Amino acid sequence: MNCDQFYSVFRHPYSITNLASVQNNTSNKMSAESDMEYSDNDGDDYDYYGEQDDCDMEAVDRTKSDPEYFLYTCLRVEEVEKLLNESIELLSNSLQITPSLAKVTLHAYEWNAQEIINKYKENANEVLVYSRVKSRSPVLQASTSRSSCAVCANTPPMHKYSALACGHYFCNDCWAMHFEVQIMQGVSNTITCMAQDCELRAPEDFVLSHVTKPNLRERYQQFMFKDHVKSHPELRFCPGPNCQWIFRAWTREGARRVECQGCELLTCFSCGAPHHAPTDCPTIRRWLTKCADDSETANYISAHTKDCPKCQICIEKNGGCNHMQCGACRHDFCWVCLGDWKSHGSEYYECSRYKEDPNMSSDSQHAQAREALKKYLHYYERWENHARSLKLEEQTLASLKSRINQKVMAGEGTWIDWQYLWDSAKLLKRCRYTLQYTYPFAYYMDNGPRKELFEYQQAQLEAEIENLSWKVERAETTDRGDLENQMDIAEKRRTTLLKDFLEFHTTTASSSKV
Amino acid sequence: MANIAAKRIKREFKEVMKSEEVAGGSIKLELINDSWTELQGEIAGPPDTPYEGGTFLLEIKVPETYPFNPPKIRFMTKIWHPNVSSVTGAICLDILKDQWAAALTLRTVLLSIQALLSAAEPNDPQDAVVAKQYREDIRLFNLTASHWTNVYAGGPTVIWEFNQKVQVLIEMGIDEDQARVALSTFEWEIERATEHLFS
Repeated sequence: MNCDQFYSVFRHPYSITNLASVQNNTSNKMSAESDMEYSDNDGDDYDYYGEQDDCDMEAVDRTKSDPEYFLYTCLRVEEVEKLLNESIELLSNSLQITPSLAKVTLHAYEWNAQEIINKYKENANEVLVYSRVKSRSPVLQASTSRSSCAVCANTPPMHKYSALACGHYFCNDCWAMHFEVQIMQGVSNTITCMAQDCELRAPEDFVLSHVTKPNLRERYQQFMFKDHVKSHPELRFCPGPNCQWIFRAWTREGARRVECQGCELLTCFSCGAPHHAPTDCPTIRRWLTKCADDSETANYISAHTKDCPKCQICIEKNGGCNHMQCGACRHDFCWVCLGDWKSHGSEYYECSRYKEDPNMSSDSQHAQAREALKKYLHYYERWENHARSLKLEEQTLASLKSRINQKVMAGEGTWIDWQYLWDSAKLLKRCRYTLQYTYPFAYYMDNGPRKELFEYQQAQLEAEIENLSWKVERAETTDRGDLENQMDIAEKRRTTLLKDFLEFHTTTASSSKV
Repeated sequence: MANIAAKRIKREFKEVMKSEEVAGGSIKLELINDSWTELQGEIAGPPDTPYEGGTFLLEIKVPETYPFNPPKIRFMTKIWHPNVSSVTGAICLDILKDQWAAALTLRTVLLSIQALLSAAEPNDPQDAVVAKQYREDIRLFNLTASHWTNVYAGGPTVIWEFNQKVQVLIEMGIDEDQARVALSTFEWEIERATEHLFS
């Protein structure tokens, strides 16, 4: 299966200017279309769609306009079960093996049915040995008399013994007990033989023929399913709490945004962490570990409230916007750098940029450590600040919904009339999300022209986001055209930054096509 | 369940008692209580290792789910070894964890632990400090391990220099075991060990 084909499957009727309004239903549409196309299909035959030229054109368009564009679907448990069963059936039919054996093999070969079939034709034995259902060494001949079971030391009658393909016979009671203990510990696909140094895996039918308790059988099958999804390179569970949805996509390289249809959580398909473009997977892991280690100090150092730089009154931030206006003296200032908001100007927004102290004495180790901490705190504070802003804007979004409802009920226009407000808040969330994740990226960047360019673009994005946030919070009293204009500018800044800095290390479908 | 466990342990106990290793004095097994859930193992330090001549006691706890789960085993005798914690005696050995098989027995486990003393796995350490010394200064490691064997396990090799250094720290009012751990950790340099202990 190859990504080129998948990229061309999807139709893209959107252009960048109305991207915001389209975003809500993007994932729905995707999965609706893909449901039709993938689940009723044996999973291999997509060329038909690839040959449609007009689709190709649109696919290219979409990947150009949205650097984060990524084809995926959200599937329900039943749909995934169906998908897995199709692979199992395909394999068991074409190789004439039991479905339960097919499962073990697929699990071992990461669900690449075609690879198994090819290899099986070349050397069936090797496939079975690799899947650990057959031992490499010659099978022990079942002796006609068994003195006792090596595990429990009991002497049950001959017919109450069984063994896997390795020929290590144990009594059925011991097998049952072994499986029970393993299942209770959450093991399913990888339950092995009880003999010393024997790594043979017990296939499903063998396990189920020994386990009789219904709740245990159910548990086993649940674990099997989880294990299958985890071992499948195209599938990933949504990490949301109690969320049942499963993502399906075709590549695991770079920061790949997938949005859950159920809980709306943004996840990176490649690594399973919260989505993190433009930062790549290894970098965000480093950053998050670092934050977990150091954040106590950082929290301690960065206070939750700040004093107004003009009248010194203590201010608690209750909205997402960093353009602050002091309630007491009406002074406009920036929450991040505490400078006068006016001095930020529109041309060059400086406060996202970290300025290294030029007078730093390079010989003093202590000063260097302090400078390193200062640098980290600079980025961490901004990262944290935007995370907090995101939370606060989440509340704005919730109250906006009820405000719109009130307006509609009061007869002040319809939902459609107020849709732009909703869209602007959603867009703001997306922009700020990306902005938050630019800080770990910048932290690990080497100094140089590329970093300068990045910080310039980051500053531009930040300025536009704060403008947008300011306008969204006062949206009902400001001009609609003005707001929509601001939305467009902010989104363009975001995509420009991502286009220039979001890197996928392998040649994926999008780059090879474009 | 517990029925199987007790039955198995009884049989294994007999197996160990009859084995040639017991006859040769290289392993021993004793019951601690009548319920067959706690035993005490004893292994002799293997020849041509710093543990030679020492006798090491092991605490063996048999879980309810034995033999489907491994027994819990730790060193009661203090030992300087990369795969054994110098503080708690916890052992890092695959067959006591994920590589356990129901068909393994206490005899095979005791022999495996003995084999671990002859062939350490410094790349899969339980005690990082010991493992580092093993990798970087094997001569000092062997001396330290011999010294520990002598002091805790009754080994024959007395290393006067180390004894004296421990004595110096004891005179400063430091607990003997603590002093030995600190000195072993800091390459037997009194200054660094005391700095660590008093900081």
